[in-house]
Amino acid sequence: MTVTQLMTKQLVKLQLDGATKDEIMEEMIGLIDEAGGLVDREQYKQALYDREREGSTGIGFGIAIPHGKSDAVKHPCLAFGMKHEGVDWDSLDGEKVKLIFMIAVPERYAGNEHLKILQLLARKLMDETFREQLLTVRKVEDVLQLFETFQS
Amino acid sequence: MKFVAITSCPNGIAHTYMAAEKLAKAAERMGHEMKVETQGSIGVENELTREDIEQADGVIIAADKQVDKSRFRGKRVLEVSVTDGIRRPEELIARFEQNEVPVYEGVEKLKSVAEAKKERNEKQNPIYRNLMNGVSYMIPFVVIGGLLIALSLAIGGEPTAKGLVIPEGSIWNRILDVGVASFTFMVPILSGFIAVSIADRPGLAPGMVGGYIAANGSFYGSDAGAGFIGGIIAGFLAGYIVKAIKRIRVPQMIQPIMPILVIPIVSSLLVAASFIFVIGQPIAGIMEGLTSWLNSMQGASKVVLAMVLGAMIAFDMGGPVNKVAFLFGSAMIAEGHANIMGSIAVAICIPPLGLGLATLLGKAKYTDEEREAGKAALAMGLVGITEGAIPFAARDPLRVIPSIMIGSMVGAVIAMLSNVADHVPHGGPIVAVFRAVDNVPMFFISIVIGMIVTALLVNAVKKPVDVEK
Repeated sequence: MTVTQLMTKQLVKLQLDGATKDEIMEEMIGLIDEAGGLVDREQYKQALYDREREGSTGIGFGIAIPHGKSDAVKHPCLAFGMKHEGVDWDSLDGEKVKLIFMIAVPERYAGNEHLKILQLLARKLMDETFREQLLTVRKVEDVLQLFETFQS
Repeated sequence: MKFVAITSCPNGIAHTYMAAEKLAKAAERMGHEMKVETQGSIGVENELTREDIEQADGVIIAADKQVDKSRFRGKRVLEVSVTDGIRRPEELIARFEQNEVPVYEGVEKLKSVAEAKKERNEKQNPIYRNLMNGVSYMIPFVVIGGLLIALSLAIGGEPTAKGLVIPEGSIWNRILDVGVASFTFMVPILSGFIAVSIADRPGLAPGMVGGYIAANGSFYGSDAGAGFIGGIIAGFLAGYIVKAIKRIRVPQMIQPIMPILVIPIVSSLLVAASFIFVIGQPIAGIMEGLTSWLNSMQGASKVVLAMVLGAMIAFDMGGPVNKVAFLFGSAMIAEGHANIMGSIAVAICIPPLGLGLATLLGKAKYTDEEREAGKAALAMGLVGITEGAIPFAARDPLRVIPSIMIGSMVGAVIAMLSNVADHVPHGGPIVAVFRAVDNVPMFFISIVIGMIVTALLVNAVKKPVDVEK
């Protein structure tokens, strides 16, 4: 399994329209919903915000990884969006967020391949050069290319 | 330095691994070794081995979820949130470098003293624990019964050939009856709550029924019941029988009636049967044997006889052995040997008086409850109610019974040698008050020496109790 099985073209948006955290959340939930990843959009949103309430998923380094594990998710999805101007995500370091990864994971799902992929992604994001590479990407294909390089 | 770390977050999807990555990278950069165990949705990965932990100089737990720390006892452990692991791993490692992280002592040290002691008690000896439970419920009955009987005898009693008798119809007779009623419950309560301690609530009824049977010799053709020792046996029997029956797997249909119908009836019958057919007969037999043995000893040395009687009186405090010795002494008064009853009268009051004194001398060795029972025992001792010692004996028989036996033996022998005589079949200082005693000074000296011997002995062998608060 590779990241691109979780993150299809439709799930990548290089220029997010939203200007606030809430708008971007809505926008990216929309990406996953349109890609057919959700059973119940509202329920998934609830799961996302529940997680957010436990502590911001803006982990610093300009990254946010809103994620929700819910029955409302049909199959595991990973959406990726960029906001070069940055958006306030109540991040732990106070920095604005530029790279947003939205993760949707079903409550019950056979196997844990998808979790391993997300784990790889999480680890990869801690790599500064990787983050910088991401920010210079101009085409969706190149994003997928970048992620293609790691698999489990 | 060598580090081990654990990372964990509520969802276990991303943060866990980010923190793991950052910590490992930071350690590498700072020239340390680190192994990170991740506890995420996938489960535990890269699990720390015992060797890993042993070799580690420090432990970092970056988790927003409960992580079991028991493995890290004795290690320097730094606990932070998972985001700290992501955000400032270098800082965390630096705190170890600067030796700022305390050693994790483990949960035991954090427990309150009482809890730790309670745990130790539980590890101690289940038999001791079961006895204690029975005794603590029994004490009020002993106190009520003993004190009311003591009071009515002291004020309303008159010495007669049959012992101290309270005239019919007097108010003291009524009060005596109340005391006797309370005493009647003593043994059943003891065995009932021993059984409860073993088998929980279902043990209560079989235990109490068993205790009643144990205390009533008429069930098994004996002149005297098996006393508190019989009650202890009944309590343990009932407890273990109930426990065993509870373990039997029964069809679903019968299950609802097990606790209210089957368990109490079957176990009560089993306890009763074992007393009537197995234990009761030997008790009656022993009593007969002891009686004829005592009769055969009339010609023997007075000192030996006094020792035997003193030991018997103290052995079961109102139980069958005590009864045999007492009846023998009473019979001897009529034969003109009131000096035998004199020894017995001394021996009778030594256990409660000696133990009462012991609670005053060695406060640390008795619970609050026991110290109260000790005061009541003193009062009971004064009027010759040996039963006042039962709460102590039942709680810790192996230490208390030998001590009181020796105390009573010493007292009985001194009384015998100094020709103390008692013309009323009753014991304790009260008989002297009623002028039934010859050689009153030596009568009291014997009692006091017996008391002191008992108190010193029992406090020497008893361990300090853990204060239960």
